Amino acid sequence: MKKMTRDDLEKCAQNTCQSTQYIKVGMSTCGIAAGAQDVFDIFAKEVKTRDINVNVCKTGCIGMCHAEPVVEVAVEGLPAVMYGGVTKEVALRILEEHVCGKRFVNDHIFDLPVRR
Amino acid sequence: MEKKVILIKDTGFKSDTTRDIQSLFLKAIRDIGAEESIQIVRAADLGIYNQGVVVKILPDNTVYTHINSDNIDQIVKAVHKGEVLENLLLKDRVEQTRIVLRNCGVIDPENIEEYFSKGGYTSIAKCLFDLTPAKVIKEMKKSGLRGRGGAGFPTWMKWSFAANSFGDEKYVICNADEGDPGAYMDRSVLEGDPHSVIEGMTIAGYAIGAKHGYFYIRAEYPLAIERVENALKQAYERGLLGKNILGSDFSFDLEIRLGAGAFVCGEETALIASIEGKRGTPNPRPPYPTDSGLWKKPSIINNVETLANISAIFQKGGDWFSSIGTEKSKGTKVFAVTGKVKNSGLVEIAMGTSIKDIVYNIGGGVLNEKQLVAVQTGGPSGGVIPKKHLDTPVSYEHLQELGSIMGSGGMIVMDEDDCMVDISKFYLKFCVDESCGKCAPCRIGGYQMLSILNKISEGEGELEDMDKLHRISQAMQKASLCALGQTAPNPVISTLRYFEDEYKQHIIDKKCRAGKCSKLIQYTINPDKCKRCRLCVTNCPVSAITGDREHGYTIDQEKCIRCGRCFEVCKFEAIARV
Repeated sequence: MKKMTRDDLEKCAQNTCQSTQYIKVGMSTCGIAAGAQDVFDIFAKEVKTRDINVNVCKTGCIGMCHAEPVVEVAVEGLPAVMYGGVTKEVALRILEEHVCGKRFVNDHIFDLPVRR
Repeated sequence: MEKKVILIKDTGFKSDTTRDIQSLFLKAIRDIGAEESIQIVRAADLGIYNQGVVVKILPDNTVYTHINSDNIDQIVKAVHKGEVLENLLLKDRVEQTRIVLRNCGVIDPENIEEYFSKGGYTSIAKCLFDLTPAKVIKEMKKSGLRGRGGAGFPTWMKWSFAANSFGDEKYVICNADEGDPGAYMDRSVLEGDPHSVIEGMTIAGYAIGAKHGYFYIRAEYPLAIERVENALKQAYERGLLGKNILGSDFSFDLEIRLGAGAFVCGEETALIASIEGKRGTPNPRPPYPTDSGLWKKPSIINNVETLANISAIFQKGGDWFSSIGTEKSKGTKVFAVTGKVKNSGLVEIAMGTSIKDIVYNIGGGVLNEKQLVAVQTGGPSGGVIPKKHLDTPVSYEHLQELGSIMGSGGMIVMDEDDCMVDISKFYLKFCVDESCGKCAPCRIGGYQMLSILNKISEGEGELEDMDKLHRISQAMQKASLCALGQTAPNPVISTLRYFEDEYKQHIIDKKCRAGKCSKLIQYTINPDKCKRCRLCVTNCPVSAITGDREHGYTIDQEKCIRCGRCFEVCKFEAIARV
């Protein structure tokens, strides 16, 4: 691979490589222990089989251990929110109601620990 | 147009009226015909507690508290028009400030491109091309960053000692041997943002003139190790580590060393011995590692959290960093808030935030609405902070004044069900187990203190034992070789200082307020309150409860192991604990 230079780094800092539509699953030890791997797998599988245009990705621990597994969801036209206590069933509801139906899922939204 | 969302949650703890208020909101939204542009959703948690019904409006992030049925039309109209209702707005909200955890939970830790998009590795570029090593240390001095491993030694000073000491080789070591019970900040940083630590170490290497660095990670963190390995590989591939970083003259190599999980190896001299392949036992200081450390060469050892701060300091400047926090403690601190708290998890706050704010506003208060008794900080080297001192701001000095320490960042909330003798016994036992046995004060003193505490918790204690505990503590603090032995008595000293009554209760009255010391309690069934539901009988793990529906039930004290299961399950408070 080509070695990077300072200019390359500054160019990289300019472009945001994350897409605007994403599902981020908290996958640190704490999340995985609470079942995040299953949740990640089900998102990955369903997004592929239903051909939904959304990026499923992994991320680290956001610090909300009481709400694990946590998933951050952003789709176009809706503000990004954090879901907590996501089981397989909730994951499917998020896909159907939030990602496809553009309606938030009741009783699972947690406040983001910091404003972005 | 982006859709507006009203999140709603009843934050009182008596009854949950969220659904009722939600239907009123639905009606109000329908009345003005805004179903398409406004959605009302029940939230699970809004990070606000005891403020009645709370609504939060996205994407504006407006929060209104103490909502009742009269405000609803007003709120819906304001949301529809994009106005703000000043009189209902939440004021003075305690918020986290995230520097160390800035990328945790935001970027994909296994993808270096995402770290680049947050300005990753621009700090090392700035140091290599714009600043001399001396200027790097000067910027660190300006920032006022102090070691986050516990002791709070100024980081710039450590770096300048190592930079000024003579050696053909120098080393940078990242201390990721996190062992305090209930603390996991370092693991989360390594798992969530490994590149920030690598960048911090590279800057440290440039500042002191080191060519080599080591990650010392405990083997119990397999995922952290995997992610750091992956991050190192990615950084090497792109020329961000190795020979001539970014085309400059500076070369730096990083390697991982695994610790076998001995608590003492978090102490710097023991850690060095462990990396060298020797048995992990501490050595007397001086010579300090900055003069003669790893393989007798000048070395610096910094904690994960300290290193994760560094790239942020060079991105935004030392002045920016020193504007956060108190006069002597700059920046932020990450705490792992655990124990009897509603929202356990990682919390990063600016120094100077009070402990009360952390527990009640960010942590959501004590579980099951019980009374808070104390907060423990600093793990086995720290102490307890009683309820009356909860307004204390978090800083190195303030916590030390109270007889505790900042420590690596464990914060354990304790309620009325926690016995202070039991707590100090737990921490002391941890240190006795983890003592390497090299020096006598720690090895013998710890053991003797533990046996005195055992005696007290079994109801065999005498009043002189409290003096003995004080005397042994002093000997350990003064004569132990390393910080493990010097700080091991801290939990005992601080509980003796604030909860002397509780010790006396154990010694004189032979009673344990919290019902934790099993030798001092007994469970009995009150026949007048007992409804003969048999719930205790089915739940008793040792079948100690006998009897029948006609004659009532009794607990066989010989068989009873005092686990308290019957006490917990009884719905009629018929089980008495004496």
